[in-house]
Amino acid sequence: MMKKKTLPNSSSQEPNLKGTIISVSIVGFIIVASWFAVFGLFLSR
Amino acid sequence: MAIEKLLKYEQDSRFPLTLSKSESRLYMSFISFAFIALFVGGLMGLLQVLVRSGYYTLPAGIDYYQVLTVHGVVLGLVLTTYFIIGFQYTLMGKTVGISDTQYRVAWLGFWVMTLGTVMAAITILYGKASVLYTFYAPLQAHPAFYIGLALVIIGSWIACFVNWRQLYVWKKKHPGEKSPLLAFMVVINMIMWFIATLGVAASVLLQFIPWSLGYAATIDVLLSRTLFWYFGHPLVYFWLLPAYMAWYAIIPKIIGGKIFSDSLARLSFVLFLFFSIPVGLHHQLTEPGVQTTWKFVQIILTFMVVVPSLMTAFSMFATFEISGRRKGFGGLFGWFVHLPWKDVRFLAPFVGMLAFIPGGAGGLINASYQLNSVIHNTIWVTGHFHLTVATTVILTFFGITYWLVPHLTGRKLTPSVNRLGIIQTIFWAIGMTIMSAAMHIQGLLGGPRRSSFSEYNGSEQVAEWGAYQVAQAIGGTILFIGIVLMIYIFIKLAFFSPKGNEEFPIAEEEKDAEPTPMWLEKWKLWVAITIALILFAYTIPIMDIIQHAPPGSAPFAWPIGNN
Ligand code: HEM
Ligand SMILES: [Cu+2]
Repeated sequence: MMKKKTLPNSSSQEPNLKGTIISVSIVGFIIVASWFAVFGLFLSR
Repeated sequence: MAIEKLLKYEQDSRFPLTLSKSESRLYMSFISFAFIALFVGGLMGLLQVLVRSGYYTLPAGIDYYQVLTVHGVVLGLVLTTYFIIGFQYTLMGKTVGISDTQYRVAWLGFWVMTLGTVMAAITILYGKASVLYTFYAPLQAHPAFYIGLALVIIGSWIACFVNWRQLYVWKKKHPGEKSPLLAFMVVINMIMWFIATLGVAASVLLQFIPWSLGYAATIDVLLSRTLFWYFGHPLVYFWLLPAYMAWYAIIPKIIGGKIFSDSLARLSFVLFLFFSIPVGLHHQLTEPGVQTTWKFVQIILTFMVVVPSLMTAFSMFATFEISGRRKGFGGLFGWFVHLPWKDVRFLAPFVGMLAFIPGGAGGLINASYQLNSVIHNTIWVTGHFHLTVATTVILTFFGITYWLVPHLTGRKLTPSVNRLGIIQTIFWAIGMTIMSAAMHIQGLLGGPRRSSFSEYNGSEQVAEWGAYQVAQAIGGTILFIGIVLMIYIFIKLAFFSPKGNEEFPIAEEEKDAEPTPMWLEKWKLWVAITIALILFAYTIPIMDIIQHAPPGSAPFAWPIGNN
């Protein structure tokens, strides 16, 4: 993308954040998965 | 042209301010103290893992719990508090400045804290305070230990007052302007610290000191533990928020990007203020004498912290992605490649961020009532906070050290120290992965924390732990090498690096960023909501605890404590 600072209307150019949303979802998934792993352990004891 | 100049004036002339020589000396005093603590505490950590492996016994009749007390106090309380206060002063000095009076009062705070630390240290070294860093009653230490703690707290309050005053004076001079982001964050953290330490201060002054001096025959154990954890959870956020300051407002500059969103950063700090304090009962889930309902209420409040935490994660990824795409790296994850992996100022905090993924996941497990019963008081918990404090926070602090110390001493971060720093980071990552993973697994197998080596009469379950304890010794040894490296780096940066001018990186907002709404500066409202949440979560349980208290406990100075 452009390197020079231009001043576009702030709403006209939303940055592309696909990678971000996928990364955060992976983090969320890790959290949920580890929670259920220990929950399984809890149930089995 | 004229407008450009004006824009430039807006951007540059106010901050970063320059730090004077004497200011730098003050800030370096705090930070140097932290590194002394790192070495002492790290050495104790090494001894602990060696003892727990079963292949080593402490010489000269030194007690394991004395060693563990030094480790917890020196690393958990001293290193963190000194580094944080020093670092936060530099942030205030850079963004809002410090007056001569404030400067003198700040020194007073340093000496009060240091007097307290020395008093507590002496009692611990003489074996008169082997009560671990939580100093749970009815273990009883020498009175000087508690008086020392009280002085440390009072000294840190002086830092709170100075920081608040610094922003106040700045705001008077700049009416109608939003406060600089980093100053805003520092003031939030110090408000949280002040409100939280009122709890331990009350417990130390009204319960422990009279009891250890013999004026009170007994102590209300449950009340003292509850007041401790009223402070103990915000304590961990007091450690974490300075790391977040660096993530939100400094790392973007290091990677050549901009602050993702000034408003989001401020909002997340306000949410951390709300939800850090009224949650201490999640450390007391197995505690008899506290109603389940109130434990449940505080668990719900604990889970609210997920919101600002994921906001922070989102913000970090977004900063990386936006600056990567701007440099022309496309694709879903192309931006990942552009990150300055060879710059230790980035690499060390980044590894810290990674550690916070399992760290945060573990935290939510700990805070879940039923799952807590799986891991409570096991070495899993130790594995958890060596990820959060001892990796996320500490590696971020190391990442700050690489530029902050040369900035303060008028030197340069050289390529060779940078390379050594990368090696240091790798040592830490490997050592901690091994030690922390082994602790997590041993904990799930029931291995207790806060315990010296024992075969427990050769029970079958205990046999499963041995390999993991050896793994902890291996990981811990690698970590200790990391500590020695870091001390070397610190000394090099402070005294021997070539003279020069190292940048103090402070990121800027996008030129076309949405203006930050002024309601974020409603300080009185934030404090009022914080206090309301605390009153809601704590009033009834604490009244219950006091009204239905069993007879208090006489002191125990033996087998550990004071003998
Ligand atoms: C060489 C590096 C380190 C090693 C080998 C190490 C090892 C250990 C071990 C084995 C324990 C648990 C002992 C037990 O429960 O019986 C422990 C506890 C602890 N560690 Fe570390 N650690 C290291 C670095 C750190 C750092 C950098 C911090 C903090 C910034 C830290 C903070 C703590 C705290 C607060 C405790 C709890 C003490 C208690 O339960 O009373 N450690 N450490
Ligand atoms: Cu907590």
